[in-house]
Order: sequence, then structure tokens, then C-alpha cells
Amino acid sequence: MKIKTGLMLGAALLTAGIVQAADSGFDLETVNPEADRKALQAYFKERFPKAEIEDYVNGIYAVDAPSREQWEALEEFPPYEFDIEEGERLFNTPFANGKGYADCFENGGIGIRHNYPYWNKEQGTVKTLEMEINECRENNGEKPLRWSKGDISRISAYMAWTSRDMPINIQVPKDDPRALAAYLDGKKFYYTKRGQLNLSCANCHLQGSNIRVRADIPGPMLGQTTHWPVFRSKWGEMGTLHRRYKGCHRDSRSRPDQPQSETFRNLEYFQSYMNNGLVSNGPGSRK
Amino acid sequence: MIRKTIFAALALSLSATVVAAPDSYQDAFELNRAMYGKGHTFVWQGKEYSTDHPEEIEAAVEANAANAAALIASAKAKNAEVAKLNFEWKLTRDIIKKAEAAAAKGEFRKALNLAAQAKYHARMGIEQYHYAQANWHLSVPE
Repeated sequence: MKIKTGLMLGAALLTAGIVQAADSGFDLETVNPEADRKALQAYFKERFPKAEIEDYVNGIYAVDAPSREQWEALEEFPPYEFDIEEGERLFNTPFANGKGYADCFENGGIGIRHNYPYWNKEQGTVKTLEMEINECRENNGEKPLRWSKGDISRISAYMAWTSRDMPINIQVPKDDPRALAAYLDGKKFYYTKRGQLNLSCANCHLQGSNIRVRADIPGPMLGQTTHWPVFRSKWGEMGTLHRRYKGCHRDSRSRPDQPQSETFRNLEYFQSYMNNGLVSNGPGSRK
Repeated sequence: MIRKTIFAALALSLSATVVAAPDSYQDAFELNRAMYGKGHTFVWQGKEYSTDHPEEIEAAVEANAANAAALIASAKAKNAEVAKLNFEWKLTRDIIKKAEAAAAKGEFRKALNLAAQAKYHARMGIEQYHYAQANWHLSVPE
């Protein structure tokens, strides 16, 4: 009896082990987004055992107590508050043709941020929220907004605000291999060393998270996209995720891609998938 | 006994030096370049080599308008190659502009050196791209 129980237990553990150690894959035949997500969570559980997975939506403040203290003080009067209000006003201001943003989005644009970015099968590309904000404008005869800051970040901030606490739910549809290719492209970008400094995103935000880089401490990769757009103290204003991407890319001493390039949209797709199950908590404030 | 220990330690340190010796030309080049900079020579597997980058060797020509223009054009072409791979470095275009400005002012030696630097950046970016294709997966958590 004991032997049988032992064998069954062993088999169960083996199965669990196989599931846990599923290869996350490095090409289109083997890449497995769910295995990537689980492996990333396991990495951070081991790296920072005291931090709760759900708390990673707060970035570096999940793992560095002194930074968290300062951030919590800052959040008492959130610096993005006026931007949310202005974003709401802009969102509800009709275009010249009488229509508005609410006409362009599902559910009138309310409580949808956590589903972005998504794979658009008809267009064969990753669509981001900011991209659709500008498409909405252009389809209604308005000029597109600048991608990185200003009104687009305010409208995006308001829309993110209406999605607060909703679980991130990024899909990589199995019936379109191009979606998986976009995911893989984003994954590859994240882990690829580039630029004169020979740095990958992962060098700072995976291996280097909570390790001092000159005067700063890079936040962890897990939860990195949940709270955008962000009011960054360094900027003294609101900015979009792609503004930060461009800055990071430049910081590696690469000639950076432009906001909303296919490369950056695929990167956002990969990163956002990694956050599935965590809650959307944008807009945020950061150092 | 003490003498034996000293000999053993010496023998160990010597063999460690042998083990640490670069086993490829590239490693030997990079080691010597890092230690001595450009314009030096080193011996690897019985042969003498220079610590100069190929682009620095290219720049070691007569400083005149034609040579400067040729190296600037060559640097631009190499940078276009790396840009196509999306691995262009941040400073390269600026260095090329500075090389052009120097050439326009008749400072051909400066122009040649800057063009060599830009071409080197571009070549390194291409090497980085090929390295990445084979190794990007190494830091992915499993």
C-alpha cells in the first residue's frame, strides 16, 4: 500500500514537475506564452520570496521598502490626478462631426484598458490603446495626437482609470500563427542585448531588478506594463509606455525605435501577456 | 617543507597563467587591445599582430580629401547595413556628421579618424546582431 501511494505521489510530482518545467520556447514551433508567464512568476518568487505576486503591479515598490515609503507619500496626493480629470474632459468632448471617443470603442471606452494590447486578425497586427485613440480621431476627421505625451497620455490615463483593478487579460489567439509570431518578436526584443552598452531589457529588469544601476534601482519585469501611462517625476509630466520604451532603448545607446512602431507594439504585447492575472492599476506615478 | 610548498604554489600559479591564455585570436586581440590600446603589437601562437581595429588600419592613409570622403562613404554604407538589422548604435550618425564637418573644414586626419570610429560602431552592431540571433534565449527564465 505504502509503495503504491509512494509511486502515485511520485507520478503526481513528476507530472507537476513537467508542467512547471515546460519549455517556454524560442521559435514559432515551441514558444509557449503560458510557460513564459509561469516561469517569470517562479523566477521572481525565488528572487524576492517576501514579495507577493499581486504586488508586482507596483513595480520597484513591491521589492524595495525605502522606495515604497516615498512612493506611498507621493500617492497621498497623486500627481496624475489632474491629468485624469483633463483626460475625462477630453474624452467626453465631441469631435467636430459630433461623434466622440466613446463611439470608437467597445463599452463606450469604459473599463477596457486591461484588454490592451490585442491581436487584430483582420489587420494582422498588434493594436495598442493609444493607436486606437488616434485612429478614432483620424476616422472622425481629427488630426492625430503626438504619441508620447500630452493629450494622448491624458485620455489614455482616464481610460486606464476606468479599468482599475480589472485583471489583465491578453490573448494570443491560437488560430492565427501571426499573433504568436508577434508575441515571439516582443519576447526576443526583451531578451536581446543591443546598443553600445550591450544591454537587454532583461539585463536591467530581470537580472538587474532591485540592483543599483548608478543612482537608480530598476524595477522588476513582472508587472511592468500594468500601470501605464505614468506621471514620472523625472519628466515632471505624464507619458505613455512607448515614450519610456524609446528612452530605455536610447539608454542602451541604441538608435531608438519610434513610439507605436511594430517593434514596440510587439514588445508591449509580450510584456502585457506576462502580466495576465495581475490587475490593471494605471495611471501610475514613478520616480 | 616550506620550500616544497612555495614550489607547489609557484607551479600552480604558472599553470593557471597557461590555462588563462587566450585560446582564440579574437580573445587574444581583445585582451591586448584592452590592455594596451591601439598602435601596439602582440604575439599569438608565434605570430605578431597589431592591436589596431581594421577601420583604424583603413584610416592610416594619407590625410586628403579623397581618402576622407571614401572612408566616410564606407562608414555610411556599413551603418546603413546595421540600421537595416535594427541594431544601429545611438552615436554613429552623429560621428559621421562630425567626420563630414571635419572634412569640409579640411581637417582630413580628424575626418578619417571619426569615420573609422563610426564604421567600427556599425561593424560591432552587426556582430552584436549575429550574436543575438544565436544567444538571445540564454537569459530567459525556464
